[in-house]
Amino acid sequence: MFKCCLHSQLQFRSETSLESDHLMGSREPIVLIFLILISTYESSAKGGIAEELNEEFTEGLLLRPLPDRKVLAHFHFQSSVPPTRIYGRHHHLFPKSIYQLVNKFRVREMELSFTQGRWNYERWGGYDPISSSSAKPPGVELWADFDVPLDQVDDSWRNLTHALSGLFCASINFLEHSTSYSAPQWSFHSFAGKLRYGTLPREAVCTENLTPWLKLLPCRDKAGLSALMDRPSIYKGYYHSQRLHLTSDDFGTAKSNAGTMLEQTLTVVLQPNTLGARAMVSGKTLQPSWSLNSLFGRKVHGKCSVSKSSNVYVQFEQNLVSELKEVRKKSEAPESGILIHDDFGNNTIFEMSASPDRVVKEVENLQKEDSSILLEFLVEDYNDSKPFDLGLRWKLPVVWSCQQAPLHASRFLMGSGNERGAIAISLKSLSSNNTPTVGCCEKGSQLRINIFQVVPWYVKVYYHTLKVFIDGELQSTMENIEKIHISPSEDKVSPGVMEMILRLPCGVITAALTLEFDKGFLHIDEYPPDANQGFDIPSAVVSFTDFQASASFEDNLLNKLPILNELQERKHVISYTEVLLVPLTTPDFSMPYNVITITCTVFALYFGSLLNVLRRRVGEEERRLKSKGDFK
Amino acid sequence: MAEISEAPSTLDPDFDQENMRKSKPGLKRLTLSLAVLFSFLLGLPFLLKSIEIYRSSPPPFREIDDLSTAIESSPILFPCHFRAVFVNFDPNSYTADQLSISVQAHMAKFAAKNSPACGTCASNVTVSVTLDSNSNCISNGNNVDWKCGALNEFKFAEKHEDGLLDEDFASLLDNNSGAKVYTVVAVKTEQEEVRAVVGKYRHAWIMGRIFEEEAIEKIAEIFVNVFMNGGKEEGLIHGEFMPLGADGRIVLSFNLLNADPHNWIYDWDFQEIDENLLSPVIDALKPLADVSVESQVLYHTPKSSFSFWDDRLDSYIFSTKDLPFFVNSNEWHLDTSVAAGGLSKILQFVVYVPSAKECPLQLQLPNGEISTTNGFISPMWGGIVVWNPSACLTDSKIKHPLRYKISSEDSRKLFEVFMGQLRQLFGLKSDGLFVGASGTSILLASERGFSEWELDVLSRQHSCFNLLQCGTTLGSLSRLVQSLPRMIIMDDIGKQVKYSLEAARLTLSNALLGIYDASAESSRQARLLAEDAFYHPSMMSVSYYSFEHCFAVYSPFFLPVSLHVLLAVLREWKRYKQESKKYYAWKAK
Repeated sequence: MFKCCLHSQLQFRSETSLESDHLMGSREPIVLIFLILISTYESSAKGGIAEELNEEFTEGLLLRPLPDRKVLAHFHFQSSVPPTRIYGRHHHLFPKSIYQLVNKFRVREMELSFTQGRWNYERWGGYDPISSSSAKPPGVELWADFDVPLDQVDDSWRNLTHALSGLFCASINFLEHSTSYSAPQWSFHSFAGKLRYGTLPREAVCTENLTPWLKLLPCRDKAGLSALMDRPSIYKGYYHSQRLHLTSDDFGTAKSNAGTMLEQTLTVVLQPNTLGARAMVSGKTLQPSWSLNSLFGRKVHGKCSVSKSSNVYVQFEQNLVSELKEVRKKSEAPESGILIHDDFGNNTIFEMSASPDRVVKEVENLQKEDSSILLEFLVEDYNDSKPFDLGLRWKLPVVWSCQQAPLHASRFLMGSGNERGAIAISLKSLSSNNTPTVGCCEKGSQLRINIFQVVPWYVKVYYHTLKVFIDGELQSTMENIEKIHISPSEDKVSPGVMEMILRLPCGVITAALTLEFDKGFLHIDEYPPDANQGFDIPSAVVSFTDFQASASFEDNLLNKLPILNELQERKHVISYTEVLLVPLTTPDFSMPYNVITITCTVFALYFGSLLNVLRRRVGEEERRLKSKGDFK
Repeated sequence: MAEISEAPSTLDPDFDQENMRKSKPGLKRLTLSLAVLFSFLLGLPFLLKSIEIYRSSPPPFREIDDLSTAIESSPILFPCHFRAVFVNFDPNSYTADQLSISVQAHMAKFAAKNSPACGTCASNVTVSVTLDSNSNCISNGNNVDWKCGALNEFKFAEKHEDGLLDEDFASLLDNNSGAKVYTVVAVKTEQEEVRAVVGKYRHAWIMGRIFEEEAIEKIAEIFVNVFMNGGKEEGLIHGEFMPLGADGRIVLSFNLLNADPHNWIYDWDFQEIDENLLSPVIDALKPLADVSVESQVLYHTPKSSFSFWDDRLDSYIFSTKDLPFFVNSNEWHLDTSVAAGGLSKILQFVVYVPSAKECPLQLQLPNGEISTTNGFISPMWGGIVVWNPSACLTDSKIKHPLRYKISSEDSRKLFEVFMGQLRQLFGLKSDGLFVGASGTSILLASERGFSEWELDVLSRQHSCFNLLQCGTTLGSLSRLVQSLPRMIIMDDIGKQVKYSLEAARLTLSNALLGIYDASAESSRQARLLAEDAFYHPSMMSVSYYSFEHCFAVYSPFFLPVSLHVLLAVLREWKRYKQESKKYYAWKAK
């Protein structure tokens, strides 16, 4: 109770206005683009009403070579339906089960992800839109925002978890207990009080979760890009995350025409099959060559017939593009220096099996000479007799690194024994590479970091022990925390939630937060079947609110595609920390029975001897002894 | 204290110290051991009682048994009121009473043919007869509100439209009292052809050159086989399988399946179907069930049975033998609805659009003919219609599939087939004809899908089968509870059972009074409560403290203790016998 009084609802606010002013200055171009965007959107929306709103389905696949010889494949499917009040409740493309779910539980926004493996932020990037939106904590993560009165939110959440658990063949229903979900106030997503967040770090994800997910697509995995999802190839990858994101404004008072939108993404990191020895050119290993067939074991036989667009993109990251230029400069005479459209199919550095239908360049608003490039391939023109099998073959060795998040976040446990310990979140700058502290303020202002962490009740965190270390030195906590909100855990009722905005000086190299905790005792019924394995503390979410992970493309804005839209969506740079495994004292589960047995035995012994004493004939025994003695 | 006394001081030469004793053996230790044993044995029931699972309000087993035996022994029958009107018949040949008696006799004959099914009318029916001829008008009942001579204004020869005539009769027979009276009007006209028509409301008429005997038989048949039994025939779906959920809700799920969207994609305007065609049906079924409708369009859903090309019929053929394999449960994800709660019934209606390589697809009946509806039903599951697109035969290789919309005329036809299938699923006839022993009657189809007398039949059957179901559910609940004495029974369950029994009793009393709607409602309540009790979460969880468990907990105490006690008793008993033998040996000496 003492902790609660001291530390619940601590809130600090300081010069936020000053900072936002500063930020406004740097973001002007973005704002301008946004204005244009909004105006064009509005005009198109008005046109849309005239030409009748309709359901839409699009599919897309983004492939990206990763620096550590792997390939990222990001499938993106989007179904949308106009609002019920205009369109009615009978659909032709949109999945019925999802629509009913949204309507029954009045879900305004929801995201469900099933993930296996951990996204490697250092090697696969931590700054781009895909790592911010599709890199998810292991297991299941679910958050939902409801459009119901505040007192019904918990009921809706419980019902939703049960419905989803039936729909996706997963144990999402374990999130119904109030100990397993939390209600973040402001840090996770800004919805006032109606958002619920829960994770199941130990949920095993497999094909039984993918099949129902695929059922929501109109073509399932029978046609289109989803036909690539060969189960063994997908699940042998290094990282696998299937995600379902749902937004609906059916219940809002605003008369917008956005309706309900279902976004499904599958992100996999695969190792191309290099077969034997690595190819070497001038003493350096070549990046592995790959094709769709070698990655997935399948080819694309045309698009899903009901999808509006079906494109495959290959993305070359900014760092890779600049590296490509370097390599070219070295190998050739420095002619144009810029990659031109027609040599994407086949140039001195790499070769693609098909020439792209379009090349889309990212428009950078930061002063950088190179920007990432998207090669677009249309699947529409391919069919059974001419399947689409995109291949990339490297000719010269290329080495590059991914764009990193401003700070690399990791979390670990300290202390030993089964009694107490400490959680530490460490933030490390990866300034060794060539993109140090991207966009960080020049004039000595500060870096703001948002940390959201949920801790189960049996890990009793003492929030007053919060310590902040910057560059290895202990700092005053109050000075470095801009805003904090703590709701302490309540035994067997609710988990502890900590949300905070941390302010770090600009050139920080390492920062660390530590929190001490006591390990609680569970009732014998509360232990999971394998209690000796330990208990998981869900990942903490670290978001860098000053940084936007978005790419804007030079393409004409009118015929925007959802997959590009996803990349362009303005989002904070987010990274998830590791899941912690806390060993708790596990009791001997046979103890009660042992106690019963030993008590009963003692009683039985006592009773038996009492009975024997009562039956004893002392005189006779003495007589016998005497007669024996007489004989001798 | 003979045993523990000192050794005998006087040594008697005859006294064998080993085999003789002078005093009677004592009983103290024996009684002590026996007392301990008996107190254990006596304490055992108390122990068992103390570890018994406490049930504060056990379900009333006896009442449940009473109810189930009552339901099973005599199916509930409703009182029905019948009325026959004879128009233009000779008033002198028969009196109204005579006619009434002979109609009842014929009805008894027809009713005897088929065993009294559940939910039909009680055997002691009353038939009121009105004789209406030009000159006079005689009735045998007291509350017959037939407007005498009203039919004279009608010019039957001019009215050939059955529908219009039906409305006329409806206005003529409209009674405000609310009692459900089934009427057959027999009209003698000059027409050769005798026409029997059953209307959409609660009446039928027979018209033509007909004689009294013939008319009586026909009237009796219509009363018994149509109004009482719903025009059912042998071989149709048995009424027990009425597709109604325990909570009285049905979800009609309409699915349009495009077998292969590479060939063509068909779409429909279900919104229009829902608004124009389905909503009257839903309204009509309202007293019986709460119907909700949902729809979806699915792609890549091939059927799982095979079809073969038939040159003579110029189409691909699947026969009735293939029907069990037609539904492809792997690919057809006709998801069960989230909206439907656990006890609702979902009926799937599927339009199957075949792919180009099996088009046109026709259903061949066992007699070699092609089915006109090209569809079939699966009881309790729903219905399937194969719809062949008109563009079927023009097999041009289209690179991109064309999108079509099923025309509103086609969707109307499809809907009509579905309506027939829904009627069949409810156990009603879908062809609009009733073939009886005394000729064929036309059953007028209502635009609402179900006519009033059919709804009456359904509602009677529904309440009857609900009650049967309630009885069996409660019966198995009580058997289960009695067979597992260690199962914890929550108070809720006992309460639910009690309410369910009350609702069942209310149903019975309502049925006796002939209030169909109320009895259907209360029977639904009874069944719902019974099922709720049976599927109560606390029952489902294994809160069963097994005997092995009990044994394992108590045996560490009772095993060693009982060993001690039994051994003590045995030893003492043996010793007592031995000692008394010694004593008798000494006495005999």
